[in-house]
Amino acid sequence: MRTTALVTVARYLLLDRVTYVVLPWAWGAFGFAIDVVILRLTPAGDTGQRWVGGLAAVFIVVFSAGVQTVARALPFALTLGVSRRTYYLGACALALAMAACFGLVVTLGQAVERATGGWGLHMAFFRVPYVLAGPWYMSWLTATTAFALLFVYGMWHGLVYRRAGMTGTTIFGGAQLTALALAAVIATWAHGWTSIGHFFTTITVAGATGVLAILVAVMFAGGFATIRRLTV
Amino acid sequence: MTPAISVAGLGRRYRDHQALADVTFDIGTPSVTGLVGRNGAGKTTLMRILAGQEFTTSGRVHVFGSTPLENDAVLRRMLLVREDQAYLDLRVRHAVRAASLVYPNWDAGLADTLLDAYELPQARPIKKLSRGMRTALGITVGLAARAELTLFDEPYAGLDAVARTLFYDQLLADYTAHPRCIVLSTHLIDEAAELLDRVLVLDRGRLVLDAATDDLRGTATTVTGPSHSVQRFVAGRTTLSLHTMGGQARAVMAGRLDERDRELAGHLHLRLEGLTLQQLAVHAAEHHDAPGHHGPSARPTTAKAS
Repeated sequence: MRTTALVTVARYLLLDRVTYVVLPWAWGAFGFAIDVVILRLTPAGDTGQRWVGGLAAVFIVVFSAGVQTVARALPFALTLGVSRRTYYLGACALALAMAACFGLVVTLGQAVERATGGWGLHMAFFRVPYVLAGPWYMSWLTATTAFALLFVYGMWHGLVYRRAGMTGTTIFGGAQLTALALAAVIATWAHGWTSIGHFFTTITVAGATGVLAILVAVMFAGGFATIRRLTV
Repeated sequence: MTPAISVAGLGRRYRDHQALADVTFDIGTPSVTGLVGRNGAGKTTLMRILAGQEFTTSGRVHVFGSTPLENDAVLRRMLLVREDQAYLDLRVRHAVRAASLVYPNWDAGLADTLLDAYELPQARPIKKLSRGMRTALGITVGLAARAELTLFDEPYAGLDAVARTLFYDQLLADYTAHPRCIVLSTHLIDEAAELLDRVLVLDRGRLVLDAATDDLRGTATTVTGPSHSVQRFVAGRTTLSLHTMGGQARAVMAGRLDERDRELAGHLHLRLEGLTLQQLAVHAAEHHDAPGHHGPSARPTTAKAS
């Protein structure tokens, strides 16, 4: 497979810059504004930092961009003679590049946030306790992995929707919840909750990023298996 | 020479529906081929399989000598524009730009000419285009891409007569300047008859006619006139259909006519009309032993460019 083919797919997708570049950060800016308003209206507590969750909007929009990458943009790409495999790998390459850039934005945002005393409000918009609060390179790596995970997870959902419609997507979502419920039942039977709690309280940020990376690989493989027999 | 398309024993089954069954044909390049059939005959399924968008249940499909499924080397040389074509949820200029990214022979000048001719505003969101305008966008992409194999699935859907004529003229002009392999699926075969080198007719998933258009013309004739005269004229000939109403009759007769036949028809006060390609296609679908069909009454034909 030629690298240029993957680049062509990425350029094809980036024709829709609103979805891939503007919307995530427009929603991020909206979340930022809401957080500023809320912090101005509510009294500051005793804690040094005031944690807010507006950054989650960017991650949610990245998930949605992953869904749209296959739900809306895939059929015309196949019309133009792009194979499923090339399209998927090109879209994943774009996801990775986008995630790295978005991770950089988060890291730069953290630097500005620290330099301005949390935007003058002690606000931690770009920082998340324990997860995105370490050195810049770790924050960048964790944010990049999280963005990539949500994009690829969104693509897998979009592919399932393309192949099996709303019914299939519902079953897919239900199956994931069932798997989680089964895992919880097994953990209960095996008296494993203490170990699980210990795992989550002792895991380092690097370890958590590693877990996210494993999930990215699982989602990537799931999406690849789903697109192989997809028809448009 | 390797044909552009080579299909052998192709079948596609969807649970209880056999969409395609034992379809076999070759198409050479350069050529313009018409794919004809009623709704549900299997035309779109066949085109999707050729473009690697659909899977086969049985048989072999080769495009440029290799299977097209997930084959980038083959797929990048072809393009399928469908009647229900889905586009990016963007503007006209983005769809055109997307195609220009993929096809090395993309002709931006031709694309601009066609967009102007079809009065397609480049800044208009695609979802706000009328059906005819979406079709025109598909034609623009299909022609300007100059793909070595271009598949048009019902390229005239929603187009008025003027726009259709424009399409035929542009197709002919561009094909003459840049010969390549073009396959059109259509219901309006007579309108496109002058363009076509060859006709394939599908009926309920089976290929019932595969013939060069030059070979087909004049192979069947409608004879109309007094009932007894018609019956006398067609006696001993292969008759595809015969309808009588009162003292008048109308017969469709296979085989070419010579001067003596025409003299006899004049003497019997009969009117003779050659069947159009459309009528031949309908007869082929209804009577699988029609002229040009792979049957004992007709010689199997292959595209002249094969």
